[in-house]
Amino acid sequence: MNTPTNMHAGSLEDIRRLAKGELSMRARIGYVALLLVAAAMTVVVLSLWLTEPALPARTQAAFGVMSLIGSAWVSFAVWALTARRPLFARDAVIAGNLAVVFTSVFVVGAFGAVILSGAAAASGALATGVVMLAVAVWNLFGARRRHAALAARRRELESALRTG
Amino acid sequence: MSTNSERFEAPADELLAIRCQLGERAAFDALIARWHEPVWRYLRRLANNDDVAGDLAQDTWVRVLRGVGSLRDPAKLRSWLFGIARRVAMDRLRFEYVRRGADDLELDELPSDDATQDLEADLATIDTALAGLPISEREMLTLFYLRELSLADIALMLAMPVGTVKSRLYRARLELRRALEIRGAIT
Repeated sequence: MNTPTNMHAGSLEDIRRLAKGELSMRARIGYVALLLVAAAMTVVVLSLWLTEPALPARTQAAFGVMSLIGSAWVSFAVWALTARRPLFARDAVIAGNLAVVFTSVFVVGAFGAVILSGAAAASGALATGVVMLAVAVWNLFGARRRHAALAARRRELESALRTG
Repeated sequence: MSTNSERFEAPADELLAIRCQLGERAAFDALIARWHEPVWRYLRRLANNDDVAGDLAQDTWVRVLRGVGSLRDPAKLRSWLFGIARRVAMDRLRFEYVRRGADDLELDELPSDDATQDLEADLATIDTALAGLPISEREMLTLFYLRELSLADIALMLAMPVGTVKSRLYRARLELRRALEIRGAIT
């Protein structure tokens, strides 16, 4: 009977190549970055759209389209990180740290805009940024908890296997 | 009921699954090295065709790599892995059934007949007899004897009570025995 090592399709080498693509860290972090940037862009556009008084119809339509595009990118990134390139425990901790840093920068920027301009749009962005920062911190703690639990179980098993 | 190998290998399987869930790239290499061939052979038994088994193995591994991070009970790695392979194979068979009709579904590719030694000849006979069994009996014998899954693992994988697995296994053994008798391999 044949073995999978001497076949064209589905050989061990094929599967290793497949795994290399599937497990690409760059792709995972890329989707995380896309999610953060798209979320930030959408928040800024929505804040401007909802707080600027008496905008012309064309500008309103433009803001609406930009918000839709931003939301679509957010949805795509969430889908990719759920179904296509799910984050493993270590990736989730890295992504969590990235999200906390990014949302912190966003909050500081929005806070600066509120101080300098006092615009309602900046206040809206700041409020939403604070919520995003809270979600990012919550996610980071969850990711660290999960990583710690898995690492502890790993140590238990390694110890049990060593002692036989 | 658990086999000896399962008793010793289960913690190693769980450790491998946990290392994958942590995201260690070396663990994925080890997972593939450990399980690709058993999975491929199982799929080969179901499909009776090397090329189809290769395609099915690729689909299986894509699902495994995407799903292992959310595997709830890493200790069940083995039954989870074969459960995915089974679903992939059944989806393909269902698709082929609709596309070609049941008559053409199992155009068996028989094992090579270049065996020169008695043992190889015996194995080839069993292989041929196994390939001629209905898919449910073939699957049951493959999982229990060739993949060494426990009755509990098979029950979990096929979502059926252990008693049903036992009775199906018993029926599959009878079918195989009959097929071997027909071929004159046993009397």
